Amino acid sequence: MTTTTVLAPSDYKVADLSLAAFGRKEIGLAEHEMPGLMSVREEYAATQPLAGARIMGSLHMTIQTAVLIETLVALGADVRWCSCNIFSTQDHAAAAVAVGPNGTPEDPQGVPVFAWKGETLEEYWWCTERALVWPGEGPNMILDDGGDATMLVHKGSEFESAGAVPDPAKAESEEFKVFLGLLERSLAEHPGRWTQIGAGILGVTEETTTGVHRLYEMAQAGTLLFPAINVNDSVTKSKFDNLYGCRHSLVDGINRAVDVMLAGKVCVVAGYGDVGKGSAASLRAQGARVVVTEIDPICALQALMEGYDVKRLEDVVEIADVFITTTGNKDIIMASDMAKMKHQAIVGNIGHFDNELDMAGLAKVDGIQRINIKPQVDQWVFPDGKAIIVLSEGRLLNLGNATGHPSFVMSNSFTNQTIAQVELFTKNNEYEKQVYVLPKHLDEKVARLHLDALGAKLTELRPDQAAYIGVAVEGPYKADQYRY
Amino acid sequence: MPVLRSVRDRFAREQPLKGIRIGACLHVTTETANLVQALIEGGAEVVLCAANPLSTQDGTAAALVERTGATVLAAHGESVESYRAHIEVVSSSAPQITMDDGADIAAAVHLAGAETLKRVLGGTEETNTGAMRLRAMESDGKLAFPVIAVNEARAADLFDTRYGTGQSTLDGIVRATHILLAGQVVVVIGFGRCGRGIALRARGAGARVVVCEVDPLRGLEAAMEGYEVLPSLAAAAIGDVFITATGSSRVLTGHHFEVMGDGAILANAGHFDVEIDLDAISSVASSHRTVRPLVEQYLRPDGTRLNLLAEGRLVNLAAAEGHPAAVMDLFFAAQALATEHLVRHASEMAPEVHGMPPEIDRHIAALELGALGVEIDTLTDDQVAYRHGWE
Repeated sequence: MTTTTVLAPSDYKVADLSLAAFGRKEIGLAEHEMPGLMSVREEYAATQPLAGARIMGSLHMTIQTAVLIETLVALGADVRWCSCNIFSTQDHAAAAVAVGPNGTPEDPQGVPVFAWKGETLEEYWWCTERALVWPGEGPNMILDDGGDATMLVHKGSEFESAGAVPDPAKAESEEFKVFLGLLERSLAEHPGRWTQIGAGILGVTEETTTGVHRLYEMAQAGTLLFPAINVNDSVTKSKFDNLYGCRHSLVDGINRAVDVMLAGKVCVVAGYGDVGKGSAASLRAQGARVVVTEIDPICALQALMEGYDVKRLEDVVEIADVFITTTGNKDIIMASDMAKMKHQAIVGNIGHFDNELDMAGLAKVDGIQRINIKPQVDQWVFPDGKAIIVLSEGRLLNLGNATGHPSFVMSNSFTNQTIAQVELFTKNNEYEKQVYVLPKHLDEKVARLHLDALGAKLTELRPDQAAYIGVAVEGPYKADQYRY
Repeated sequence: MPVLRSVRDRFAREQPLKGIRIGACLHVTTETANLVQALIEGGAEVVLCAANPLSTQDGTAAALVERTGATVLAAHGESVESYRAHIEVVSSSAPQITMDDGADIAAAVHLAGAETLKRVLGGTEETNTGAMRLRAMESDGKLAFPVIAVNEARAADLFDTRYGTGQSTLDGIVRATHILLAGQVVVVIGFGRCGRGIALRARGAGARVVVCEVDPLRGLEAAMEGYEVLPSLAAAAIGDVFITATGSSRVLTGHHFEVMGDGAILANAGHFDVEIDLDAISSVASSHRTVRPLVEQYLRPDGTRLNLLAEGRLVNLAAAEGHPAAVMDLFFAAQALATEHLVRHASEMAPEVHGMPPEIDRHIAALELGALGVEIDTLTDDQVAYRHGWE
């Protein structure tokens, strides 16, 4: 059942393989906190539904992800992995995944993984490419977080069809320049590579709001190469991970970064979606006074009903102590805003990409100085001596400055991912090149798998009660449009 | 009210208050009736009047007379003259123990002449405002008998002022006005034991709470709890609901009324009706009318409105039912046990305002835990020795 691979020395790249033992211990602890994944391993041990699946994963390489990876392997899959962010890898997790449960640092027998904490942009895209380019048969599934792997395959195919890559020098961001540079080289050295890889992919399962947004755009444009499951919009993902995960990990990231007393501080949370709600609650729970900014009147009204003040950024930029962006949009806090902030104001982002904070603009301010305090904490000093503190260079601070969401809530998300991979792989002919959401009965299944660990006792509907509301005793219990 | 009931059962057996007349001025509610019953079963005679013209529950007053034989002089909505006359009657009944909520009887017996005053063994006081009055008398050298400030009993205080006042103040405001608290800016003036309870519960209801304070320690605490702390005049400009809880006088006055927004709601949670400046609100307005029971709407010359609740009297009792029974249980058990303590020990106690004897305080808390079915640990002998040792 288990594939004992001996990893070719070139077929992984992590910071330090000797960290594997520590990683393995923490993986053991995490397994205890991830009842959903462990239960799925048990359920599918005999049937091996992912036998024959070759899954490429681009998802923060943390201890929690290690448990996901080993779950996919337990279900029969072959897997290659990279992280979806330059700062989010936990090096001991990456090492443990490369070494595997049965290997040693001298004789790694785990899974090809290309990830370390503190990659450059070039290294990041190199890792993504390595994870997508398999020796032998290419990947047939993608497991994405933010859509970078999907984008590489799609843009690669697109440029190969066009016969040329747009000029990297004219790219709209440093990162996109690196991305185009990679594709330029690959078109030259391996013509047709991405088209071939794309043709072999049966489907992608996408983890996060931002990545899902990209998929819907492609589906609408008719450019989606393969079917996609939007895992983010499983209720047990977005209403848990995005909300309660951030409620836990936002303050964790801020604490570990700057150790500043949050009680009594004025904190601005830009955005009151699932992530914004969790972020605001996280800060309020520590005694901060939270002000919310929003463009959506419904979300704004929700914030008001919870007793938060809702104002525009310009109303509070000069008085707030902490600024956190959560929007999934771009250019929320510009360099000109940062110039108006109080001395030692703390600025961070917990949205998926780093375009919420205008880091490029900040770097271009005449006479500005960047002083690194410690990894992922920088002080930026304006010419007048006023400074602000920026976390994780504007990249998601809960993963950059801490260790992301805790295991229990990630078990929810990753059980959804696993179920989605099984679904898309085993029933591929039932799916078209569209974006799908997992059916509600699977959503409810994921929730069920997490109740025992918390000592919950669920009530059962009687048949007459079930009939009264028009549902089956075993569920699903709500109409599709129900919002929780 | 299981704690009071257990005290009552012991009182009935032991009769610790036999031959004692208690002159009481309390809010006449169903919970108070339980206290009076306990005192009478302990052997006492009780003469009771209302501590506030609007706080009496008439049905309760009647039932008390019928069932216990207590003398009760109280009616909901009685005039100020009637309220004062009843205090006089209680004071002239020559009580040996005064039992107060606002120090009215204690003050009255001091003014009633030597004959009345020398009969008094001691008194109990239930509220912060009353305790302040009595301490003022003490500093003036005028307090003639020991008084136990029951409001300072830690067991009662936690429940009564913070949680009891928090819940019942908002209850009073909601019953009077039917407003949605979520999303409203609620200004709590005073962050003492009452104010912090009110702020907590208002926040729990989804309000955005602003706190005003004069004490930097309390102001800092409010800021650390994440409340916006503003000078009262600045708060006046943005608040929707104003709740005074200071024990001070005229904390909302003409300057505030001039800048408040249209429809602002004014409520007082403090003991006396001096916190909202009623003269000022009348002068700022061109007219007023009653829009709902207990809601007086004052019209400013520009046509905008201020809504005063319960004539500025304590809103939780005037517009709701005061604290829930569970809170008053602890409080009144403290009253009954303080009374017993005075009957036994008043002759050894200096004529000062005293705190609650700590062993009684702990005993009350232990009784409440029992009633809640909660078990706690006890120190081992080793641990007791450790605490007292220093080597």
